[in-house]
Amino acid sequence: MACSKETITLIHRYLDEELTSTEAKALEAHVASCPSCSEHLKELQRTVAIVQSSSHFKAPENLTANVMKQLPKQAQRKKWQH
Amino acid sequence: MDIVVKKIVAEVKKGNQDAFAELMDLYKDKVYHIAYRMLGNSHEAQDVAQEAFLRAYTNIDSYDTNRKFSTWIFRIATNLSIDRIRKKKPDFHLEDQVAGTEDLDYHSQFAADEDLPEDQVVQLEMQEWVQQEIMELPPKYRSAIILKYIEDLSLKEISEILNLPVATVKTRIHRGREALRKRLR
Repeated sequence: MACSKETITLIHRYLDEELTSTEAKALEAHVASCPSCSEHLKELQRTVAIVQSSSHFKAPENLTANVMKQLPKQAQRKKWQH
Repeated sequence: MDIVVKKIVAEVKKGNQDAFAELMDLYKDKVYHIAYRMLGNSHEAQDVAQEAFLRAYTNIDSYDTNRKFSTWIFRIATNLSIDRIRKKKPDFHLEDQVAGTEDLDYHSQFAADEDLPEDQVVQLEMQEWVQQEIMELPPKYRSAIILKYIEDLSLKEISEILNLPVATVKTRIHRGREALRKRLR
């Protein structure tokens, strides 16, 4: 049987490290004895790990150049004449 | 804020376009990456990233230098991505045919021609799968999940980027995480 909505909310707050140590211990004790909550917590931890494993990649080479081309024409300033 | 960034921004505010190019070099990868994760498409991501920088340039006077530049530019990019998603109908799918082609779907835009080693293929498939599942999230949960778990930003920074109270950001992360759990298990 699935646990109450309140317990699921506690699990999320647990993942966000928002529970007091007393609350966290109580939840851990519950999870240890409740297969459904234990599974739920494991799935959430796995979800987070999967999303965090997303690789980062670089912007296309021409991105800066494309933007520079579209900037309003620079006023003919006397550049670098300090 | 970073003293180097502050100096560059001061130059941009004076109208120095070379300084703006430097500023872009510092932030373009992250801005592009956020747009890509929001939109799931490299072409649109580039479009949005470029538009974000153009807007940053034209509105640089309204940027408050006491705040982080990254927060400001990420906010512009996130808003533009969400606008783009709202306008986009019907939803984009990888299986859709690429406009103007007869038999190309969007998978072809990711796939490289040369053979990849087995582990890289697995890695690529895994990445595509995660991205597809992220794309199934409603945009408001999607942005919170991306900023938190892919960009690794603090709740405070996410709340500034999304212009929402921290409590709302937390709720969106909870719901997004729950929705993804059901899809990724």
